[in-house]
Amino acid sequence: MVATDLVVQSLLNGLLLGGIYAVAALGLSLVFGIMDIVNLAHGHMLMVGAYVAITLFTAFGLTPIVGMVVAFVVLFVLGMALQRVVLKRVVGEGMEQPIIVLFGLALMLQSIGRIVVGSDAQATDIGIPGNPVSIGEITLSFPRLVTFVLSLALILGTWAFLKYTTTGLAIRATAQNNAAAQYMGIDTANIYVLTLGIGTGLAGAAGALLSMLFPITPFVGWSYLLKAFAVVVLGGVGSVPGTLIGGLILGVSENVGVLYLGGGFRDIISFTIFVLVLLVRPHGLFGNSGGGE
Amino acid sequence: MVSLTGPFEGLFGDRRRVGLFVVAVLALAVVPYTTTRFVTNIFFNGLVFVLLGVSWNLIAGYTGQISLGHHAFFGLGAFVSAWLTTPMRAGLPESIQSPVLVAVAAAAIVAGLLALVLGPILFRLTGHYFAIGTLAVAAIIQLVLLDQRQFSGGATGYYVSNELEPDVVFLLMLVATVACILVTYAIVNSRAGLGMRAIHDDEDAASSLGINPLRYKMFAFIVASMMAGIAGGFYAQFWLYVNPDSTLAVSWMVDTLVVVVLGGMGSMAGPLLGGALFVALDEGLRQIAGEFAPVIEGALIITFIIYAPGGLYKLLADRFGDAESPAVDEDATTDQSGAE
Repeated sequence: MVATDLVVQSLLNGLLLGGIYAVAALGLSLVFGIMDIVNLAHGHMLMVGAYVAITLFTAFGLTPIVGMVVAFVVLFVLGMALQRVVLKRVVGEGMEQPIIVLFGLALMLQSIGRIVVGSDAQATDIGIPGNPVSIGEITLSFPRLVTFVLSLALILGTWAFLKYTTTGLAIRATAQNNAAAQYMGIDTANIYVLTLGIGTGLAGAAGALLSMLFPITPFVGWSYLLKAFAVVVLGGVGSVPGTLIGGLILGVSENVGVLYLGGGFRDIISFTIFVLVLLVRPHGLFGNSGGGE
Repeated sequence: MVSLTGPFEGLFGDRRRVGLFVVAVLALAVVPYTTTRFVTNIFFNGLVFVLLGVSWNLIAGYTGQISLGHHAFFGLGAFVSAWLTTPMRAGLPESIQSPVLVAVAAAAIVAGLLALVLGPILFRLTGHYFAIGTLAVAAIIQLVLLDQRQFSGGATGYYVSNELEPDVVFLLMLVATVACILVTYAIVNSRAGLGMRAIHDDEDAASSLGINPLRYKMFAFIVASMMAGIAGGFYAQFWLYVNPDSTLAVSWMVDTLVVVVLGGMGSMAGPLLGGALFVALDEGLRQIAGEFAPVIEGALIITFIIYAPGGLYKLLADRFGDAESPAVDEDATTDQSGAE
């Protein structure tokens, strides 16, 4: 039997981790919801973001918070270029084309990552100083708290951007009805470019956050893609608050599950949750339309 | 509604093609006896890629179900055949030790059974959800095997032994590949094949015409998975080594995609051309580009999808005026035949 305070501890750690999972999933969810594209390279973009932050810290001593901003910008630009140069040519040609293109991109990013940084896991602990916070028997590490707060800030920022800015309104209009949005004078092609930029930028930021807590290798892409997709399925495609809830559920389930089943089961737990949710609701917990449309 | 444009379309469109196919098979049959082991190895991998490509093309190219979990059936097939010829290393009873052919048959059956169990679950999903769902299931299978060290050898893997010479395993693989190509050809040109293409084009329309989509999808999925299991079964017996990290890795899925996309999705000749091109490319690229080879492969996938979505097959067919292009993603072809 596992002690109660250990369970509470895992639960809290899971909640804090869940915030990052939510950020990791948010970009995937937005791109899926708005453009109906599943970015199969999302996890690999997250990996690139993590290495941007790690490099900035180890080479220039820049704090991971700066790293996060830079990672966002780098991936934002990459995502916009991807849409402008590649994806716009295959969207609307059926579902296979974008899937295969992004699968190919994932392969490229992973291979480039392996060439540039090697196969070994990079040392984490990229220095957020600060003492653990203790509440009774429970201790929460300071980096986890910081990354959680940053995650919430990113999610809140994205939500506010979509809700309160004109561009956000244009994005939502495009998601609802592309043709109608065009009649209203919205340049939907540019909206797609921007949306993919934001989506991949968030992947980069999530990578930077994760690099503060976990070792990163060039091969983590697939794993984080599936975790992010699990969150999307749990929270509903395109829903910002849903994504946060989905992330928290996944973080907690993983952390508490690992307590009982062992560390080797971390990914098995999240992927199984994902498949089980799909079993109950084939289009996601809050989804209502088919994926192929 | 689609209809056949002729019972001998595609790869075996005319005598010239049958002749080419027979010559290629005969040339491959003498490879182990006329060349070095190094060359044999390359051609063996070529056969593996062709079989993976042909089988994935059945489910993805013809039926339109983009499975991203094909590598799980390949990897599981490899492990099943490894366990059966070399049971002691996995802590299994010596009494189950079997000859290579039995082991590979078992690999096919286990892969087929797994598809039978997973199919009804996965086919509740459509489109993107199906693609990601299959990717997740394959990842779970790999992680479970990685965790079960006694059966999989953990991260270091596990050596296989059998009673056959590698040259013989090569020939068996060749026979199996040819058999699978013929079976696939027969399926594609049968009533079932028509149903599959109808589902590919428009599942709802197919369903309203009395086609049971699940039945055809399941059929394609089980057959494709068994073929992947066979490829894995022989792979383990030829290379005599399996490892959950690499044998069940998603990179096999990537390679399969490269083969089919380069060759031409939804055509019979596509995976054959793609397999040949990929082996040449893979070997050639590794010599020239070294570790950059996968980067170039990824770029090639993207380039082909954008500029030559019909793959090499379509390019050749256009170049040499071959009108029998059976590429299923061409609306014009199906519309015409539908009007008949």
